[in-house]
Amino acid sequence: MAAFGRQVPPSLPDETLVTARGRAALLPDLLVDARRIANNVTAGWHGRRQRGIGENFWQFRPYVDGEGTARIDWRRSAREDHLFIRDKEWEAAHTVWLWADDTPSMLYKSRLASVSKQERALIIVLALAELLSRSGERIGWPGMTHPFTSRNGAERIAMRLAQIGQAASLPDFSAIKRYSDIVIASDFLDLPDITKARLNPLVERGVRAHLVEIVDPAEEEFPFAGRTEFHDPESGETLTAGRAETMAADYRNLYLARRAELSEWCKRQGWSFTTSHTDHQASEALAAIHMALSTDRASVSAGGR
Amino acid sequence: MGWFPISFTMPFVLVGLFALPLIWYLLRLTPPRPQAEVFPPLRILAQLVSRQETPDRSPWWMTLLRLLLIALVVFALADPVLNKRENLAQEGDALAIIIDNGWASAPDWQDRVATAGRLIDDAEAAQVPVLLAFTAERPNAEIGPFDAQTARDHLRAAEALPVPVDRKSVLSRVEQALTSFARPEIAYLNDGLLGADGAEVDDRALRNVLAKNVSSLIWGKADLSKLVGLANASNEAEGLRLTAIRAQPATEATSISAGAFDERGRRIGETRIAFPAGEVTGTALVSAPFELRNDFSSIALDGQEQAGAVRVLDESAKRRRVGLIAQAESDSAQPLLSPLFYIRKAIAPFADMIEVPSADLVEAVPKLLEQQPAMIIMADIGVLPESSRKALFDWVEKGGTLVRFAGPHLAAGSKDDDLLPVKLRGGERALGGTMSWTEPQALTDYAQSGPFADLPRPDSVTVTRQVLAEPSADIASRTWASLSDGTPLVTGRQQGEGRLVLFHVTPEATWSNLPISGNFVDMLRRIIQQSRNQGRVFANVQGAVISMPPYRMIAADGSLIAPTPDARPLMGTDSKVTIENPPGLYGNEDGVFAHNLLPEGSALTALERPQVSMKISEITYGPDRTQELRGPLFGIALLLLLIDTLATMWLGGAFARRWKRPASTAHLGLLLIAGGFALSLLAASAVLADDAKPGDQEAIEAISTTRIAYVITGDKAIDDISRAGITGLNRFIVEKTALEPGEAAGIDIASDELSFYPLIYWPVDANADMPDEAAMARIDAYMRQGGTVLFDTRDQYGQDFDGPDASPSTLRLRELLADLNVPPLEPVPSDHVLTKSFYMMPDFPGRFTGSPLWIEASTATENSAERPVRVGDGVSPILITANDLAGAWAIDNAGEPLLPTLSGDYMQREYAYRGGVNIMMYMLTGNYKSDQVHVPSLLERLGQ
Repeated sequence: MAAFGRQVPPSLPDETLVTARGRAALLPDLLVDARRIANNVTAGWHGRRQRGIGENFWQFRPYVDGEGTARIDWRRSAREDHLFIRDKEWEAAHTVWLWADDTPSMLYKSRLASVSKQERALIIVLALAELLSRSGERIGWPGMTHPFTSRNGAERIAMRLAQIGQAASLPDFSAIKRYSDIVIASDFLDLPDITKARLNPLVERGVRAHLVEIVDPAEEEFPFAGRTEFHDPESGETLTAGRAETMAADYRNLYLARRAELSEWCKRQGWSFTTSHTDHQASEALAAIHMALSTDRASVSAGGR
Repeated sequence: MGWFPISFTMPFVLVGLFALPLIWYLLRLTPPRPQAEVFPPLRILAQLVSRQETPDRSPWWMTLLRLLLIALVVFALADPVLNKRENLAQEGDALAIIIDNGWASAPDWQDRVATAGRLIDDAEAAQVPVLLAFTAERPNAEIGPFDAQTARDHLRAAEALPVPVDRKSVLSRVEQALTSFARPEIAYLNDGLLGADGAEVDDRALRNVLAKNVSSLIWGKADLSKLVGLANASNEAEGLRLTAIRAQPATEATSISAGAFDERGRRIGETRIAFPAGEVTGTALVSAPFELRNDFSSIALDGQEQAGAVRVLDESAKRRRVGLIAQAESDSAQPLLSPLFYIRKAIAPFADMIEVPSADLVEAVPKLLEQQPAMIIMADIGVLPESSRKALFDWVEKGGTLVRFAGPHLAAGSKDDDLLPVKLRGGERALGGTMSWTEPQALTDYAQSGPFADLPRPDSVTVTRQVLAEPSADIASRTWASLSDGTPLVTGRQQGEGRLVLFHVTPEATWSNLPISGNFVDMLRRIIQQSRNQGRVFANVQGAVISMPPYRMIAADGSLIAPTPDARPLMGTDSKVTIENPPGLYGNEDGVFAHNLLPEGSALTALERPQVSMKISEITYGPDRTQELRGPLFGIALLLLLIDTLATMWLGGAFARRWKRPASTAHLGLLLIAGGFALSLLAASAVLADDAKPGDQEAIEAISTTRIAYVITGDKAIDDISRAGITGLNRFIVEKTALEPGEAAGIDIASDELSFYPLIYWPVDANADMPDEAAMARIDAYMRQGGTVLFDTRDQYGQDFDGPDASPSTLRLRELLADLNVPPLEPVPSDHVLTKSFYMMPDFPGRFTGSPLWIEASTATENSAERPVRVGDGVSPILITANDLAGAWAIDNAGEPLLPTLSGDYMQREYAYRGGVNIMMYMLTGNYKSDQVHVPSLLERLGQ
């Protein structure tokens, strides 16, 4: 009898890009909340719905003594007795780091799923890259690119991925600066403590992280029964279960407990934690991350400003 | 094999069963192979359990299953046989099989045949000849010795017959036939019943045949427990009394149902015949209304498919014959005053009336008695002649019923008549009337002792006049109906086996209104029911033996069938049941005689096996129940294997996953099966659709348009001209008419199908090969079926067929036509439809103008002068010209004429085309144009 799940070859980034574009097309432009972060601002393309540095007219307001006279709009002021200042709309960009896990454990696809975990992670990340690039945000791939602004950011990332490839289970986070966001798509199958220890540098640096857990339904439901030999694609270890169905309930408890712990920890940090099942649509998870990226951290976390 | 019904052909294979413990040991060791699965979250799983122990043993039931499987296979290999048949016939140097095929063998005849077939098989295996004798066959039937194959043929041809067996003669024949063998073996498949001749005859016959140097006897044991015969069916007052007999009494009371059937086989009555415990006879009454009982044609026991359980009924069990005698029959002008009128009306529905025209009693009474009536009604006859009186008295003594009516003659006649139930006083008494004080008397209730006891009291009947009985001691017991003052109105008494009845009133409505009341009918009917027919119609002709043709026969299975070829007319009524006279109804529609298998009062007695000192083996009848068990055992083993496979898959967890995922391989399998089925259907439909034959394409092309054909002569120049000519004509036709002919078709008359073409142009070439006979036959058939051949000799001078100076082409044409059925010919007459079918054409020129166009001569019809065209049906099958029409029609690719006309006249070519158009139109429309002459008169009528 055929095995339930199998190891699949890694999907190529440029092929995945097409799917990712399709997914991204379903979502509106991403407005990353970066109101709080003054340092990091570079000129972006979209308005922030408030006055600031930019090119588009925002409002006229009465001149207050002390402001530079160069900003007085004489044409407007000539119509009345008061002096008016022409405010421009603040247009700013934000840095969002993107990263997708590419370890062998991600190359798993069970019969219940339509895509492998790796492909799903790439789709989500590239779709985000597409969305963010469209909105003029700066995106980057830790360990591979610096943050950059580009209309075709997703394509550039995909090309770089195709050229270089990567294998580290977690990237080098040293380049990530404070106040930027990072999206990490992985299966987070390590024990929670290990995962937390790895992500700790981000906490220390004040980076807002969005964890996207990619889950194959077979991993979650444990549909195996009978005498089964399990094989870990990463470590190569095997484990033989005489009656696999008897372990299902306990395993499910453990599995969900790990996710709950991780999710709870993220919440405490003010991070978002999203789960994407490979038998579901990628858009579902994408919409959730989209939401997390565009809302204020204050409304997400209990911390407040 | 004794009590154990299974035996093994190859028992040594069973040694393989000793391997079972070893297999058991091996099976216990091998666990099922684990299912390999990639599983990334192994680390989480590893937390759960460090090491899952693997079961190193299969479940016990799986081991058991596999052991059972192997044991089954071993058993199957040993080739077990259930109910293995014993080989019986292997003793002697010949086998005589004697089979009773009488009526009692019919229910299990097939079993007997199967048993006999096995005996023949055994004899064949032992290579001994077979004698095959049937005890109910004709005495001259062949009994052998046969070889096995012939014996089988004889056995297959034999069938059970609805007649008793004749053991005596058949066994003696077997005895003679066995003298030539040293130690024959006898198998007697008997029916278990003693023959009609009795125990001694049968026993002696058996002993005789066994007294010879017979080596052994195989004695068939018939099952008599279910055999029931119908010994009698007699008509009684309340119903039909059935008597059933059986050969073996049962220890407890049983019953069998019987049905009564009418002539068309409809079941119109039934009853249950009960056999008390230990009795061999049971009776029952089919109670049915009298009229319905008359319709009974046969009685059959249910579930008994043999002739002995069926009885046919004839007239003697049916309608009574009633003789009518009146002394002075009134003239027919006053029927209501006839003394017999009301009697006839009353009894007509349920009795047959016999009347003798003679008024002379000396003559009439014997004639009436010849008819053996059940009842005789005498209306007001006072004194009988002595001879008649004696004859009547004897008849009554034997069971006849005499009914007399009073009247003036009786009142005046003999008072001490022994044909009267009571003594009568002289004269009659009148009640009521102008001179009397008394009132007409009504009737009281019927006497309880009489036959009318259960009839309702007659209320409306009044009696004004009657004859009176002498009072006597027993008058009350003889009175069946009386008036309210107690004087008897109807009296009756038993006389011998018969009965005397007297109505004390007249049979017409003068003395009372009894004859015109319904009670009269009831009374007569009741009396008739209690009477009995005295003998049968056929027995009455003195001395002569009557021959009755077979009418309905009882088949061996108890059904009524049309007469079999063997059936001969029944001579006399006391004939035995034989092959020539099988049981059934004899006679015709007017009257039948029931010839029944079991005589009345017969009994079924079991046949005893003779006590002889030789090897005797008894067999029971039945089909060969030998059954090979190898196949079923292998089947069960295969099933177990399937179960084992499924169980292994289940243990491997296959189904747990299957159930979560609908699109499993099971579905795939179903899909494959469905796909295969659909594919086979497609293939089947493709096979159905592909009924094309070679040549179909050509045929379709040939008939999709109208095409003119020409005969390929083999000379290329002539063929080219023919082709070009028809092409030119086609072009002209297309231009001028609504017809658009297809391309010219060159045909080989020897091979091509001709019937596609309305016209075949045949340029006669003297140098061409003469077509063979078959080709000419084809042409002949073509012409007879409506086709037309246009012969063109292409030499204008050959217009005279018979002349000595004929051209070579004409000579060749003459040769051609010699093989054809050529009708009488004539040049186209000026009023022929061919001259008018499209253009008005006086003649038909081609390149030449000299030759006429010959055509089938029209039958001389009385054409009226004013008709421009002669009428006549059909199209001439042959046209002959010498004008080289094709030459004139021929054009080249550019449309220019190929050949010059002889005269060089432009119009001649035009006329040639027109002639061609006319010919073509004539071909296609026939005499349509000649019918056009009616158009003016039709239009004229329409206009009015």
